[in-house]
Amino acid sequence: MFVKEWRCEYRTRYALNTLALFAFTTLVVVSFSLGPLGVDRSHGTAVLPVLLWIILLFSVAAGLPRTFVQEEETQTAMALRLSATPSALFCGKLLYNLTLVFALEVLVTPFYLMMTSLEVASPWLFAAVLAAGGYGLAAGSTLVAAIIAQARSKGTLFSVLSFPILLPLLVLAVELTRGATAGDPGGVAVPVLLLYDATITVAGLMLFPAVWNP
Amino acid sequence: MSAPRLQFADVRRHFGRLSVLQGVSGTVDPGEMMLVTGPNGSGKSTLLRCLAGLLATDGGTIAYQENGTPLDAAERRRRVGVVAPDLAFYAELTVEENLAFFAKLRRVSPARGLDVLGRLALPLDRLAGNLSSGMRQRLRWGFALLHSARLLLLDEPFQNFDAAGERIARELLDEHLAAGGLAVVANPSSLDFQHVATHLDLGR
Repeated sequence: MFVKEWRCEYRTRYALNTLALFAFTTLVVVSFSLGPLGVDRSHGTAVLPVLLWIILLFSVAAGLPRTFVQEEETQTAMALRLSATPSALFCGKLLYNLTLVFALEVLVTPFYLMMTSLEVASPWLFAAVLAAGGYGLAAGSTLVAAIIAQARSKGTLFSVLSFPILLPLLVLAVELTRGATAGDPGGVAVPVLLLYDATITVAGLMLFPAVWNP
Repeated sequence: MSAPRLQFADVRRHFGRLSVLQGVSGTVDPGEMMLVTGPNGSGKSTLLRCLAGLLATDGGTIAYQENGTPLDAAERRRRVGVVAPDLAFYAELTVEENLAFFAKLRRVSPARGLDVLGRLALPLDRLAGNLSSGMRQRLRWGFALLHSARLLLLDEPFQNFDAAGERIARELLDEHLAAGGLAVVANPSSLDFQHVATHLDLGR
């Protein structure tokens, strides 16, 4: 599933282009708005982590909801339902979305740090938050994408369902990113973020057969 | 080893207020074929989707067993071979890549499907998105026979075929039935078949 997803993506570059263009546009807008010298350190620590996660969230929201919708729209969903177990399908899609999100983070974060002059006091915590937060974004989006695939108002439903699912993740990720830039230890928030990732993964594996099959 | 058998009784399905299937029943034994006919909208495709486990019924029972083991809807879905007009493949992948992908998902060798496509003379290196409607139908046959399914559910199986394609597809169906397989074929009009054991007319 994972290999097929990347093979199709390599030939169409739909999701990659959408994510990259959206990320680049928001990056440029943020850097222009904050000016060439960035913001001062006290304001930067408070504001810039929020903006980073907003960029990541909106880039993900622009590309990942298509994961299952495309299968329904191109009518390949029937062949998948006849061939794949729901767990294999969910894991394959999640893995693909995960690599897309990680690629996005690798692309966006260095540019963001450079353009906003944001200094990171705890690079390891920062990297861990990006990894765990990125996983949560990918897993949450994959689950919501599966739920909305057969609905009529897909765009609206994605926003409505994503809000309660992704809000706790974003609050935690922003707080931890702030801590990483200020040099504070993660404390209890790191295990909570990992617990969120595990919960979303288990919930996805349990719910997916019910939302995917009739 | 117990022979496969499909039995469905009083199958009902409605979409909103529209009742499409109102208590449909039938039995298909090994080597037999059930022909389902009826005008457009009479519920032929809906019945086949229910039998395949792709659509839940609102009432009635569907019992299918292989090797003496009754299969639930999820297992039935992965065992049956389906040809349907709305069965599509990945346009960005070639015919061979599509078949290899679905073979891997089913954990079977793609050899059987490739053999079928060889007989149907479908170019393996062509992108599925570039296939004509008749060629797409040939690919659907390759997909349906990929995993040597005992039960074939064929919705308008010869749609868009040329004379040669239809002849080979009929041969494949005859071989399937001769080997003890089961088939349910849905078509708007009656088709000339040798092995029809039951004729279910949903237009009545």
